[in-house]
Amino acid sequence: MRKIINAPENFVDEFVEGILLAHPDLVKTPGDDVRVMVRADAPVAGQVGIVTGGGSGHLPLFKGYVGRGLCSGVAIGNVFSSPSSDQIFQATMAVDGGAGVLYLYGNYGGDVLNFDLAADLADLEGVPTMTVVGRDDVASQPKDNEHERRGVAGIFFAYKAAGAAAERGDSLERVAAIAEDVVAHTATIGIGLAPTILPTTGKPSFELPDGQMEIGIGIHGEPGSRRGPLETADEIATDFVEALVGDLSLREGARVAILVNGLGATPLEELYLLYRRAHQLLAERGIEIVKRYVGEYATSLEMAGASISLLELDDARLELLNAPALSPFFQER
Amino acid sequence: MNAKDLNDHIRRSLEILTESADELRDLDQALGDGDLGITITAGSHAVVAELDQLADDATPTEIARTCAKAFANANPSTMAALVAGALLAGSRTWEGKDDIGLPEAAEFAAAAANSIAQRGKTQVGDKTILDGIHAAAETLRSASDSGQAAAAVVDAAARAVEETRSLQSRRGRASWLQERSIGLADPGATAFQRFVEAWSRVDGPSS
Repeated sequence: MRKIINAPENFVDEFVEGILLAHPDLVKTPGDDVRVMVRADAPVAGQVGIVTGGGSGHLPLFKGYVGRGLCSGVAIGNVFSSPSSDQIFQATMAVDGGAGVLYLYGNYGGDVLNFDLAADLADLEGVPTMTVVGRDDVASQPKDNEHERRGVAGIFFAYKAAGAAAERGDSLERVAAIAEDVVAHTATIGIGLAPTILPTTGKPSFELPDGQMEIGIGIHGEPGSRRGPLETADEIATDFVEALVGDLSLREGARVAILVNGLGATPLEELYLLYRRAHQLLAERGIEIVKRYVGEYATSLEMAGASISLLELDDARLELLNAPALSPFFQER
Repeated sequence: MNAKDLNDHIRRSLEILTESADELRDLDQALGDGDLGITITAGSHAVVAELDQLADDATPTEIARTCAKAFANANPSTMAALVAGALLAGSRTWEGKDDIGLPEAAEFAAAAANSIAQRGKTQVGDKTILDGIHAAAETLRSASDSGQAAAAVVDAAARAVEETRSLQSRRGRASWLQERSIGLADPGATAFQRFVEAWSRVDGPSS
């Protein structure tokens, strides 16, 4: 294992401390547990708080989207494992500005249990919560079982839209409805080209022979839904666009936001190869790309690979994507 | 029993329960990931420590909520989250009550079973802790005499565990073993059985 690391067991606490030290104007920890991080001006009076959370190893996912016009707080778990209900509860109390708190996170078993338990704890303190889970990975379950899909990079769109709605003062019910609407109109698919190495074990998460790729991969270094020979960038982009357009039933005249996401060890150049072909294919189908994001938005440590997400846009969703936002890892002017 | 008796009874029961940690670890190693012994030990110790600190005038509801938070925080696992959620759900049925008798125990158990079924998306017969708690709740509901209820609950929990042996696990990691899970007692239901056994072994007012 070649990693820049101190003791593996301190990996999470230490990188979070690094983020807090690097961006004191944007984020803070409200208590003495660095696994709970909130925007520097939290709680914002009268504004719905948005708490996210999940395992570490996905930066900028989860903790990177805490900021103005985005999430208000995050509970941080160990690498690829859920934060505790107490950490989620602490984040909840630290961001509650009197308008309630939305829980917005990926659809993983341990996270669901701990967020639900935190919701019970918050309820005892009189803080109302609502929950929306990202479930955009089309490869993880077929369309007729979409509520069981896992959440991957496409949850970024839900953060952006719900965060903008909270920032403009929408009610908890409204912010939750907006997050749900965006989740329902988002689809993602990805491939993995090389495994990740867990800091705790120092071992690769799976073995992949040269010339092969995992199709339908998640963000935990887990194997995909199938394996096949490595294709060209254009072939991969074509498969992706067909899967996503089909899943969202996009027709000529539709407008979309597109996110081409790298999983940690794939160069931007390769991501732009995917964007290029996806752009051409969508244009051929008469689908207009209105917003575009290319880069690392949800990673899996140093896994090589990429995903493409599409969000079908209407005027309301577009306005929320265009609203200003600022975090240590993302800004929209 | 009043709140102070309840607090004492829980603490003494959990001290006995931790004696089963190795058995639970081994059962869970066969069917899951083997952390149930740690969950029970760490959770019990945390609950005992927090209950020790609790003010003498704490209500039964506060006692149950203290147990829930301490158990969940000691070891964030699926089982800990399910048990803590069950205790919180039960605690709501005790709002405004100072004395816990048979009807209160029955209401608590029913709410706890319901919480686990909903949160764990599980039902009776899936070979989980719910099988034990559901059997206990049913026994308490139909019991007429609090003196015999404790022994009847112990019997019901033991029977429920016996019945899990012939079942195939349908929830959690154990479900991945499929047919290989048949023949083994469910670790979660066994943990519940060991808890009610410990509860009945503690001297004092029972309900």
